[in-house]
Parts: sequence; structure tokens; C-alpha cells
Amino acid sequence: MEAMSIADFVKQVVMGKISVVQHTEQVLSEIDSTNPKFNHFNLIASELALQQAKEVEAEIKTGRHKGKLLGVPISVKDCICVKGVESRAGSKILSGYRPTFNATVIERVRAEGAIIVGKTLQDEFGFGTFCTNTGVDFPTPLNPLDKSRSCGGSSGGSAGFTALTEFTHAGIAESTGGSIACPAAFCGVVGFTPTYGRVSRYGLMDYANSLDKIGTMGKTVADASLLLEVISGHDSSDSTSLPEPVPNLGEGEGDARFKVGIVKELFEKSDESVRKECEKAVAQMEKLGASVKELSLPLNSEYGVAAYYLLSMSEASTNLAKFCGMRYGLHGKLEGSFNEYFSKVRSEGFGKEAKRRILLGTFARMSGFRDAYYLRAAKARTKLINEFKEVFKEVDVLVNPTMPVVAPKFSEIKKLSPMQHYAMDLCTVPANLAGLPHLSLTAGTAKKMPVGLMLTADHLQEQNLSSAALSLEGALK
Amino acid sequence: MSEEKNDVIIGLECHVQLDTDSKLFCGCPTTAEEPNSACCEVCLGFPGSKPVLNKKAVDYALKVSMALNCEINKEFFFSRKTYFYPDMSKNFQITQYEVPVGKNGYLTLSSGKKIKIERVHIEEDPAALVHESGLAMSRQTMVDYNRSGIPLVEIVTAPDMRSPQEARDFLDQLTTVLQYLGVFDEREGTLKVDSNLSIKGGERVEVKNITGKKGVEKAMSYEAVRQKGVILKGEAVRRETRAFNEKTLTTRSLRTKETEEGYGYIFEPDLTAFELDEKYLNSIKQSLPELHDSKAKRFVQQYSLDGYTAGVLSRNPHLGNIFEQAIKSVDVALAAKFLTRELLGILNYNSLSFEEADLKVEELVGLMQLLEKGEVSEKNAKQALIKYVLEKASPRKFIEEQGLKKDLDETELLNAIEAAVNENRPAVADFKKGEKKALHFLVGKVMQSTKGKADAREIQKKLKERIEAE
Ligand SMILES: [Zn+2]
Repeated sequence: MEAMSIADFVKQVVMGKISVVQHTEQVLSEIDSTNPKFNHFNLIASELALQQAKEVEAEIKTGRHKGKLLGVPISVKDCICVKGVESRAGSKILSGYRPTFNATVIERVRAEGAIIVGKTLQDEFGFGTFCTNTGVDFPTPLNPLDKSRSCGGSSGGSAGFTALTEFTHAGIAESTGGSIACPAAFCGVVGFTPTYGRVSRYGLMDYANSLDKIGTMGKTVADASLLLEVISGHDSSDSTSLPEPVPNLGEGEGDARFKVGIVKELFEKSDESVRKECEKAVAQMEKLGASVKELSLPLNSEYGVAAYYLLSMSEASTNLAKFCGMRYGLHGKLEGSFNEYFSKVRSEGFGKEAKRRILLGTFARMSGFRDAYYLRAAKARTKLINEFKEVFKEVDVLVNPTMPVVAPKFSEIKKLSPMQHYAMDLCTVPANLAGLPHLSLTAGTAKKMPVGLMLTADHLQEQNLSSAALSLEGALK
Repeated sequence: MSEEKNDVIIGLECHVQLDTDSKLFCGCPTTAEEPNSACCEVCLGFPGSKPVLNKKAVDYALKVSMALNCEINKEFFFSRKTYFYPDMSKNFQITQYEVPVGKNGYLTLSSGKKIKIERVHIEEDPAALVHESGLAMSRQTMVDYNRSGIPLVEIVTAPDMRSPQEARDFLDQLTTVLQYLGVFDEREGTLKVDSNLSIKGGERVEVKNITGKKGVEKAMSYEAVRQKGVILKGEAVRRETRAFNEKTLTTRSLRTKETEEGYGYIFEPDLTAFELDEKYLNSIKQSLPELHDSKAKRFVQQYSLDGYTAGVLSRNPHLGNIFEQAIKSVDVALAAKFLTRELLGILNYNSLSFEEADLKVEELVGLMQLLEKGEVSEKNAKQALIKYVLEKASPRKFIEEQGLKKDLDETELLNAIEAAVNENRPAVADFKKGEKKALHFLVGKVMQSTKGKADAREIQKKLKERIEAE
């Protein structure tokens, strides 16, 4: 049975044909039974969800509630603060951290009547591409289509559960360098990452603040778009939040009549089977009225990954400084000097990849190296953004394979060196570094696994992405 | 050896708490009674929280920069300075690094010497570490986050000062400027200074975290003597960082390895960079008050005051204002003398600021007018002023009610003198023998019997005439 779209579900709820409480109970029981096998959640908020469901149902009965997400189960990536609910960003070092406030996105979905069902698994602080860099004592989420394969990362639990569930559901996820698009592609769902600043980061536990974007995961373009519309918009609590009005994404019409640019290098660097599926999808777009041309992003293809990792690790190494076992999260036995104490807590609380990124990031910004690494990467970033700005004078939408491969097996991932691991982000990193909105949807299948096609638009052009993706999605069915 | 004094080289880094209502990056108040009662997820550095800039702090920092004759950088952004310390809620401080708000300014000392200001920048104050039974005895350190996130300006001078007294004078001039600007409350806000001193040709020693102006002078005096002692012994001064002990007035070594500390600055990515536009900068410039040194110069020119009196009158913005209002209806010399001697004396004696005393110009003017017309003696005027400053009793009313007006006629005074002379013959005899003290005693007696309504000088004159006539 195919799950109902969010829009249809809400209609049924309003008409009283679906009980929000019963539906929430069913979703929670599905999570309870699947989670031991797939590890998509590291916290199931059963009590909170049922309480919210009862409140929403009571309000519906009074006829007052007109939310766009009435009774819709929403999962939340662990790095996003939910008031009173343990929020760990996938790290042991945040054990026991129950935020005293809600992230702005949580406030917004709650205002539309959504039900928060739990916190989804991720690479620790978002540091990974396969959700295999989960924190100390955290399990690894498994791909619902093939348990021997990765869900992708870092929003692995979010994509995994979105693919797995039989119920109406959407996920609030987060991307720094591709953490929404990658798992969406690997699990065969839609991942929508907005323009940097479109969605408030207030309440997001930082990976790299100048890159972090909260976005959405849905079974369909319509679901992912509707949720994105709800969480978008200016927020005075986040200084980097954009003032521009939010476009109507939830009720958009499919339309593929755009000027589409094929990013040559990113097709060339992808596996042949992946490339073929993406080419087929592009041909489909052409049939739908798109005018397609090949173009090149030489700087982004060559330097994107290096600039991204230098900047993101530099920022991450400062963000992670606050975790010292003093005010919240993991505490240790009080002994030794302050330095000895926090070093011990951090040694125990951080996983291997977090430690690697702290060391590399600290190195890149230290005096003597700062000019050669951190500052040079910041300068490169401006050039890479300009390269995009130039091509967007010619086209509306760029397309490339979301990932150069289909979801790899865990046995294959083990063989990758850290550098090979980072190189997997080749296709998603440029748009993320430039803060451009992008969407990944399933173009076809290779090796019985979904292949993701990534559409990228110019800043603030989410509506174009949504229209093009809706149209293509319809044609590919 | 006078040239030895000139061998001292001092530079200062002053951290001034800006007197804003709320903190630099959150809405928490900057004053609070209970420890840890004025803090939120932002100033506690909770994961997920984000800073939002308090624009008032930028206004204030610009005022400071302009008043210190700095060039203003229009490009405005913050940086992250990362280091681990228990008073840091995030283990990084949001500060300005590459581009400070102001640079290349100067401040003029009372001697007229100009001290170069290298930079003025904004940053957040860390939390306060509290040791209940003193640093040495406490078994634990407590943290009070009320201070965390209070806006600071850091003012860095060139090593232009040549004595601890010059350093003190710099800080006096600086706090005067800050008070004129209304950005610093000397009573509530703190001034913390990292002060470095070297003897010409020797290594530089930094004394960290000195509180207050007096502390800086004392710490630098100690350091100058200590370093000269080291040199006299034929040894070299080590480059090091030292701490100042306010009780013993000595410094002690904190660390000797003074390598470039690795703070690993990055651009603060949670705050956006912006451009300070011309219109905004002009509006700040327009809002700058006349500062004390130009006011003092003007007082000398406009009112023919001596330099010292003009300096005292202009040191405090309130005093200067009261003076200029008063002289619309009172003689300049009388007002200057009354305000600098009597009023300042009473305020200083009772350690009251002008804000705390909350004086009404009309009341002060009324009192000065009585004095000018000779309707009240200086002694009674002072008594009325004390009553007014401390108890807010209207001076005119007080003088009226207590019958302190100088309404004695000549005969009453002469009668009082007559009585004093007759009742104190031994004193009269002593005075005749040349003992001046005896006359003072007699003046006191007359003052008592006339309730201070007569002037001491007049009584003295009349008493002398009376005794000499015997
Ligand atoms: Zn606060």
C-alpha cells in the first residue's frame, strides 16, 4: 500500500476520516518494531507524540485548527533541538542534553499541527557520507532496500525511515555538504535542501555554521516541498536568516520548461550505471519541454571538495570546543585540572571522525597555516560561487548525479580511506558550498538500488526546483 | 637619576564594560542581583543557540573610537577566538580580529602629550570565576554567567607611556572621555587592563587582568622597580606574563613561555558581515558631546578661568553643565569656587557620583544667589548644601526654617562681641599678649551666639577693633 501524500492525509484528518491519535499510535508501533532492525531512530518520542496527537485531535474537534501538517508524523534529525527531548547530534558527548528551547523549525511545524515522533540517527555532528561515523555507542542505520548497504549520510536515519515507513511522514533533516541529498539518493526518496539562510538555523547544533542548512526529506516532491514551505522564512533569532518572502511550494504545479544545464564533469566522474540512469531522466526532461545543454563547472569540480572540507572542519573544530563536560551533556569524574578534566571527557565522548575533524580543522586555522588553508579556502569559496553565478546567467536548473555511486555495501565502505570517503561528496559539495538550493529525486535504478538525480537552482529559486522536479517525478512513474 | 625614569616603556590594553541595558548577543540584562540569574541559552553557550547583535554596543564602540580620534573601518564583522577556559561558555569568544571598529587614534594626557591608540574593538565578556574563600584557599571554583556576554570595548595603546603616573593619567583621561560619552558607568562597570612594561632595551613583561586605575599604577610601579632590580643585579629581564596581587601590591610570574598563542581565529559564521554606511556614521558623529579637553579650553577662553579650575569643572560632564547653567544668573568666580570646592568636596567626602546625588540646578543656583547677595554666610551655605546633597532638603527653605539668613544688624553683632569680650577676659588678655589662637576662640564664641549668621571674617575684624580700642 502506498502512503498517502501529506496534502491528502491532512484533508482526511480534517474530514474526520483519520484519527490523529490512532494514526500516531500506528506510526509509533511501526517504529518500535522496525527500529531494532534498521536503527533509523536513536530516540522514539512516544509520550510526547501521543500527547501532541491528543492535543491536535482535541483542537480539530473544536474546529479551530487549520494547520498544513495537521496530525502529520514528522521525524527530526538528532542535531535539531526539541525542547525537553534528549538531543545529541548523534554524539555521546551530548548524552543527557535536553534543550530548554525548541528550534525555530520545530516551533513552525508544531504551529501547523505536526506530531514529532522522534530523533533520527546521523553521523556524529554530521561528519560523514554513509552514516557509518555515528557516535560512540551509537548503532549504524541500515538501508531499508538492502540491509547490507548504507543509508547514506549524514541524515541517514531520516532518509531510511522516510523510505521504510508505510505511513504518511516527512523528515526534518540537515545538510552541510550534501547530508540531505546523499541519503535521499541512496534510499530512493526526495531530499530538498534550501538556499542557505532560507530556513532558520536557530536550534540547530552546528557542524559548520556558514554551510549548515535545515531541509526536508519526503516520499514525494510534493511532501518535501510542503514541509520546506512550512519551515522556511525569516527568523530574527538567526542573524543569517534571509528576509525574502517564502514562495508557495506545497501547492506548486509541475512544469519542466526550463533551461537545463548538464554539469559535464560530474557526469563524467560518476559510475557508468549511475550516469546512464541520470541521462535517461534528462532525456525525459527534454520531452517535458526543457531545453538542455551541456556545460562545465571546472573550478567547482576540481577544488570544491578541498575548499569544503577545509572550511567545514575549521568551523567544526571551533563549534566542538564548547563540549567540555561542564554545563550539559556527558560529565566525567571531577578530578585533575580543568584541562585534564575536559580532555578526558572529550576523549571518551567524541568518536574517531569527530576527533579527526577537530585536529584537521584546528590545524587549518592555526597561525602559520591559516593563510595557506583556512583563508585560501575562504577565498576559493568566493570564486566557486562566482562560477555558479556565471552559469545561472545561461540556465535555470543544473543537473548532475546526486552521488557518483549507488548506496555502497558496508563491506565496501570499510575499504575506503578518509580521502576516498571525502571524495564521494564530489557532486553534492559545490551546491552546498555556494549555499544553492538543490533537490535530489530518484531517476531510476542500478544494481537494484535507486539512483538519485540532483537539480540545483540559483539562490532563492526553490520554486523552480520544485516545479521541475514535480514534472519529472510524474513522468518517471 | 632622572634619565632612568624615561627608560620605562608602558603600553595598555583596556577592557571597558559598555553600559548597555542588555548583553552583546542576547536580551539578558547586564545587571542582576543573584548569581546566574541573568542568563539564557545564548550567553550560556547551549548547543543550538545563536547570537544576535545588540546594535547599541556598536553605537557605543563607534562613539568611543571617534572620541579617541580613530579612523573608522566601515567593514564590520566578528571573529571567533578559540581557547579553553572555564569562564568561557563556548570555549570561544566572539571578538573582532582582522578589522577592529577603530584604529590609529590618540588620547591627549593632561600634560598635552598624545598617546597613540592602535585599535578599538568590540568583544564579549566571559563569565566570572568566583572563589568563595579566596583563590588560594578555595577547593572549588564557581562560575557566575551573569557577566557572560556583557559587551566590552578593548582599547589598545602603543607603548607610548614613560611612567606609571602617565599610565594612570591615561586611564583618568580615558574614563573621563567614556563618561562624557555616557557609555561607561564607573561605579557599575569594570575596567580591566592588561598592562605591559619594559625597561628600554629589555624584554617586555605583561601584567594581566588588573582591575581599576589605581591598580595599574601600583602594578606598573612595582614592575618598574622589580625590573630595574633585575638589571642592577646584572641579569636580564625575562619575557613573561605576570599577575598582580591587589593586597600585597606585587606581581608574580604566571608563565614564561610567551609564544604567539594559537587562538586559530575564524570569521564568526553565525553573524553576518555588514557595511557601516555614511549616514549612520554621521549620525553617531553628530551625537558626540563636547569632550572634556575642548570644554576646558573653551572655559579658559570664554570665562577667563584659570587652567586648573577649568580642568576640574570640565572633568565631569554634569559639573560642567551645572556651571554653565549657574553662570547665567551668578558670578563666574563665585560659581566656579562654590562648585569646585564646596560641591565637589561634599560629593567626594561622601563618595557620591553626580548620578547618585541627582542635583537640581535651580536649587544650587538659588543657594549661590543668596551667597552672592551676602544674605547667607559661607559656613551656613555649606551646611545647607550638605543637607541638600544628603537629604534633598531645599537649601532656600532650610536656611529660611533654621533662621540662618544673615539678618543680623550692626548693633546685634556689636552686642554679641561686647558679651564675648566681657565673658572671656583671660582669652582677651592672651590675645593682647600676642596669642593669635585666642582671637579664633573669641570668634567662635561670637559665631555661636549669633548662630553663624555673621561672617567669620567680619567678626574677626570687629573683635580686633573692639579689643584694640581698650
Ligand atoms: Zn543571555
